[in-house]
Amino acid sequence: MNPIPISAEQSPLLFLELLYKLRVRDVMARDLVTIRRDATMRELQRLMQARRVSGVPVVENGRLFGIVSIEDLLQALDAQRMDEPVANFMAASVVTIEDDMPLAIAISYFNKYEYRRFPVLDARGEAVGIVTARSINTRLLVELFRELARIENQYVLPLSENASCSFQTFRVARSDFENAGSAATEIKNVLQKRGIDPKIIRRVAIAAYELEMNLVVHSDGGTLTFRADEGEVQLIAKDQGPGIADVELAMQEGWTTANDWVKSLGFGAGMGLPNARRVSDEFHIASEPGQGTTVTVRDVLPPRPLQKRSKNRPPDRRRV
Amino acid sequence: MNLKTLLAAAQAQILWADPSHESADALHVVAADLMSDVLTMDLERPLLLTSLATEQAVRTAHVVGAVAVLVANGKTPPPEMVALAHKLGLPLARTALPKFDAAVALGKALGC
Repeated sequence: MNPIPISAEQSPLLFLELLYKLRVRDVMARDLVTIRRDATMRELQRLMQARRVSGVPVVENGRLFGIVSIEDLLQALDAQRMDEPVANFMAASVVTIEDDMPLAIAISYFNKYEYRRFPVLDARGEAVGIVTARSINTRLLVELFRELARIENQYVLPLSENASCSFQTFRVARSDFENAGSAATEIKNVLQKRGIDPKIIRRVAIAAYELEMNLVVHSDGGTLTFRADEGEVQLIAKDQGPGIADVELAMQEGWTTANDWVKSLGFGAGMGLPNARRVSDEFHIASEPGQGTTVTVRDVLPPRPLQKRSKNRPPDRRRV
Repeated sequence: MNLKTLLAAAQAQILWADPSHESADALHVVAADLMSDVLTMDLERPLLLTSLATEQAVRTAHVVGAVAVLVANGKTPPPEMVALAHKLGLPLARTALPKFDAAVALGKALGC
């Protein structure tokens, strides 16, 4: 079984780019646990337990002499040779990898050799780290998430919709008055298609509009997410800053930090947050200066009358 | 009250409306230039009377479920505003009357 199930032929291009962009030094574990040749197998056992590792390179003054694994330790235990030096049990011929090789090569090593760890040598031949499937996977995940976030930022996320639930996230840019309100319009349309009571649609649309305008006017940009199912409609407005110093003050009607230009567009009257709260069944705001603001509102939908069964209903058993 | 009759009372020129909308009913009039205020009013099927000739007036009207937008003070709504009204299916009209006079005319027509 491949410890890293990645194919260099069938992966997406973005991923392949990562495999060649990242170097071994980017993915290796740097806090290298090593042991000397003259240490006993007993010492090795304690070291492995304390540092929770299953393989230890044998290193003296940066020079790599071999590697001892948990299998070697088991052998020594079995033969009751725990007082013998590590040198008697280590594998002296070690497959190593250089720190400036691309990650793709490191991954191919895992598939080519049976080993689960490869000591990393720098240009001077000194042991500087170790790569394991875990160290690679951790770093790859971090890089992939970063890449995903970057791609997400370039696209409008599509509406995900089925009979039981509609879900969509809108990106709202700072000071983008041209598109301000388009998310609220879109949300209203989706809710109308779901056949929700117009009075509730109006409440949700107003909340969505107020939150969207807040993102445009006050935030450094953010997202407006909405989710509608059979029981409720939820809106989440989230931004990356600048945050609100005094949330209680911001919730007061008429309190505003908007400039005259915003006011000339008919907004910035300091009614946004209180009004969003007015039209929601549940309202929650969390904000931290320098961090950002998250506003969550919920509107509960009344239970719908039971619908008639579809034509596809199974035949009545009593009549069969 | 019939929207077409109501708009005629305010000497309005219809800039965009599809035939079905002309026979729609308006129950109330909201006269405001501050869209934040419009968003706090709980009126069903209002006509929005405003001197704010921007797309945000149309967006706000759509969000609160208004039946039409009437721009007062002789302002000419910019093409983007007309285009958005068209896109959202919201009738848009203008009148040369000042907002107060338009409001009085609409009020009389509604029997206020």
